[in-house]
Amino acid sequence: MIKIDNLSVAFDGPEVVKNVSFTIGDGEILGVVGESGSGKSVTALTLMGLVAESAHVTSGEIYYDDQLLLKAGQPRNNALYRQYQGLKMSMVFQEPMTSLNPTMKVGAQVEEVLLLHDKQDPKAPTQSKSKAPAGNLAKSAKSESAEAKAKAEAKADAEKKQRPAKEASKNALLAWHERRVQEKEDRKRRVLEALLNVGLKDAQRVYDSYPHQLSGGMRQRVMIAMAVILHPGLIVADEPTTALDVTVQNQIIDLLRKINHEQKNSLLFITHDLNLARRLCDRILVMQDGCIVEEGATEDIFCDPRGDYTKKLISAVPGRTGKKKTSNSSTTPLVEVHDLNVYYRENANSLFGKTVKKCIVKDANFEVYEGEILGLVGESGCGKTTLSKAMLGLNKMIDGRIVHHSNSPQMVFQDPYSSLNPTKTVGWLLQEPLRAQGILDPSKAMTEKDRVAAAYDMLHKVGLKDKYYARRPSQLSGGQRQRISIGQALITRPGLVIADEPVSALDVTIQAQILDLIRSLQEELKTAFLFISHDINVIYQVSDRIMVMKDGKILEIGETEEVFRNPQDAYTKELLR
Amino acid sequence: MKYLVKKIVTLIMTLFLVSVLAFLAFQIIPGDVVTSILGTEATPEREEALRKELGLDKPPVVRYVRWAGNVLRGDFGESYRYSKNMNQMMPVAELIGDKLPVTLLLAALSMILIAVIAIPLGVFWARSKNKAFDVLMNMGTQTAMAVPSFFLGVLVTYLFGIVLKWFAPGGYVSYRDNFWGCVRYMIFPAISVAIPKIAMTARFLRNSMLMESGSDYVRTAYSKGASERRVAYFHVLRNAMMPVVTFLGMIVAEIVAGSIVVEQVFSLPGIGKLLISSISTRDFPVVEILILYITFVVIVVYFLVDVLYRIIDPRISNK
Repeated sequence: MIKIDNLSVAFDGPEVVKNVSFTIGDGEILGVVGESGSGKSVTALTLMGLVAESAHVTSGEIYYDDQLLLKAGQPRNNALYRQYQGLKMSMVFQEPMTSLNPTMKVGAQVEEVLLLHDKQDPKAPTQSKSKAPAGNLAKSAKSESAEAKAKAEAKADAEKKQRPAKEASKNALLAWHERRVQEKEDRKRRVLEALLNVGLKDAQRVYDSYPHQLSGGMRQRVMIAMAVILHPGLIVADEPTTALDVTVQNQIIDLLRKINHEQKNSLLFITHDLNLARRLCDRILVMQDGCIVEEGATEDIFCDPRGDYTKKLISAVPGRTGKKKTSNSSTTPLVEVHDLNVYYRENANSLFGKTVKKCIVKDANFEVYEGEILGLVGESGCGKTTLSKAMLGLNKMIDGRIVHHSNSPQMVFQDPYSSLNPTKTVGWLLQEPLRAQGILDPSKAMTEKDRVAAAYDMLHKVGLKDKYYARRPSQLSGGQRQRISIGQALITRPGLVIADEPVSALDVTIQAQILDLIRSLQEELKTAFLFISHDINVIYQVSDRIMVMKDGKILEIGETEEVFRNPQDAYTKELLR
Repeated sequence: MKYLVKKIVTLIMTLFLVSVLAFLAFQIIPGDVVTSILGTEATPEREEALRKELGLDKPPVVRYVRWAGNVLRGDFGESYRYSKNMNQMMPVAELIGDKLPVTLLLAALSMILIAVIAIPLGVFWARSKNKAFDVLMNMGTQTAMAVPSFFLGVLVTYLFGIVLKWFAPGGYVSYRDNFWGCVRYMIFPAISVAIPKIAMTARFLRNSMLMESGSDYVRTAYSKGASERRVAYFHVLRNAMMPVVTFLGMIVAEIVAGSIVVEQVFSLPGIGKLLISSISTRDFPVVEILILYITFVVIVVYFLVDVLYRIIDPRISNK
């Protein structure tokens, strides 16, 4: 149905998509897999005619049902594309939080698709409607409205003959108005129907909501409703679940599969997550540096990968097997947490409003043992970060007790791009915790020479060469920066390091390297880690024990293998699905 | 409702603080109203008598409390300098009431000009892909913002008054005598007030729109098959207006408080002119009320901006 032939795209420089050719068959789910910068999004945006104007198509053609959409060297035909966008092909984006217009009600935004495509074809306004074989409800609504329309017209016509011209024109106007109202109601009914179809049970409320009143998962459902309301032949989904929590992610995947099954449209599914692609897609393309490096049926790719890159990619994906056995058996508590409640102040900046204390972490009781990696898993907003801040002493509004049996814990943050001071060199950054320690506790003060030596030593420990010592963060890759963050946390030899989503901003292959690094450093230095992640597979790979958290409560805590083999809580089971 | 009460309490507190500060300022700045009225040649007895008459012999706290009590009862006092007739001074309320409509009319006309010209211009500029037009607008707006307003007033007078003869410079018609004649005359000072603000607003709106155009929801709108025109007016404009509304609020507050220079150039009897002359003659009752008026206007306009913000951006009222 879709044929992309030898496509290359460049943004004022080297080509980011190189000689890409593929086809998408009717009703097929095609996965495009690759790491960031592999050109998968640019390919999709080019196909949709949405790529920025600074992008040049340097070679190739794109066909939709034998209709030429785009050809290298010719300017993009925006008018032609507009007839396809929304009607024959539509797109679901990665960021549900920002992809909806914040100042428009959700219903109106979905309705806009109908408005745009009814308007474009004024002679046959029902054409697009007739394409929709949706539910019976929508159908009866349509026939009803058609009847009403016919009646109104007949009425106006009849009256036109009898009464004076003035009266007749007034009636025609009334009838026209009635028709408009009817059409509007009809559209609204179709939108509600579409919202129901994507699993938004409270469709009427969603229809009248603004995007900020909905959760991420609901917004993504709205985006999908928008994409499927006209039953386009092709849906392009660009990382539609990346910004969502695991359980929501599962629901969205199920929904996409259901829609594909019911409407028989093709789906181009773009993701960096091989597990997701494996679960959903019929066929998979693997992209690297703008080229397609492997193509084949999903099971063939996973069971028998041919390319080196594909092999590397598949082995980097954290799975639930092949875990290295850790040797830790200590049960001496390093940190004890007793009956901990952590609060947050709401409305703290307002002059008159009452400040409300909100309990984020409820009744936490656990211990971190010496030299172990304790994995903490949970969805966004469940209190993982709040808990870790309380353990670091960054949040003082707590009840209960936190007892530390070692020196002050250190932290590794999620975003390696913004958590390092961009104006300092790597050497300076690595020395900084030592300097701070020296100021706080003069007995631990070190000489400049010792600090430099310690920094070089740590640089080697985190797997970087001497030449990086004088570089600045902007000259490093994401993985290298995260190595520096880890080095910073470890250089004062703390008993405990809290790592808050340290790998979630990194590509799979880099992620695997950083996880290896954390494991080997933990073996070598016997440092305990509290490893926080939303990804249960990552947690499985690194942790000795795991702790599952939801809505501020710790649901389950135990040996990793034990929890995976025999989860006690329903929520843990859902996570493990 | 709670929100409204909060805003009103803030307004009252601010007015009180400002009135105290203005009062204090008048105690501190050099110059004496008595000397200013009688001149340096007056006898000490005569000065003493006038001081007593004006109530200036009392301690400052007593004077402030008495003045504030009167204001609360709606009595704004009398001007020290302007007389109504031979044996009575001009009440401040009457004095300001006479000049306020001039300033308000000027402000209204300027704001209409700004809104009607700057917003379409900004949108057009943001959507234009013509490089030459962009350069032209860049230069034009920069020039308009840089020219001092008195010079702009002179230019407008020269062009429309002397070359085109569309109005008679200096021939201000009172709104009491001929309202439309007054409006006709006022258009030209309004143009002088508006030109730099139009340049700023158009520029601001254009930048805001270009920034919004990069948003994800814009891409979503295109993916539905919306035309560039629809995306610009239907999606981007409303979101891009938010910072512009704040900016327009600042402009309204500035203009309603009196465009001092422009009022001078076009010899309009507005409050800007009154403020200058009252300060230089130490006409305390007039200045104090004018300062309160300006404070009031600024706060009320900001309140309106806040309300408008809530209408444009549904996210705010929910926070």
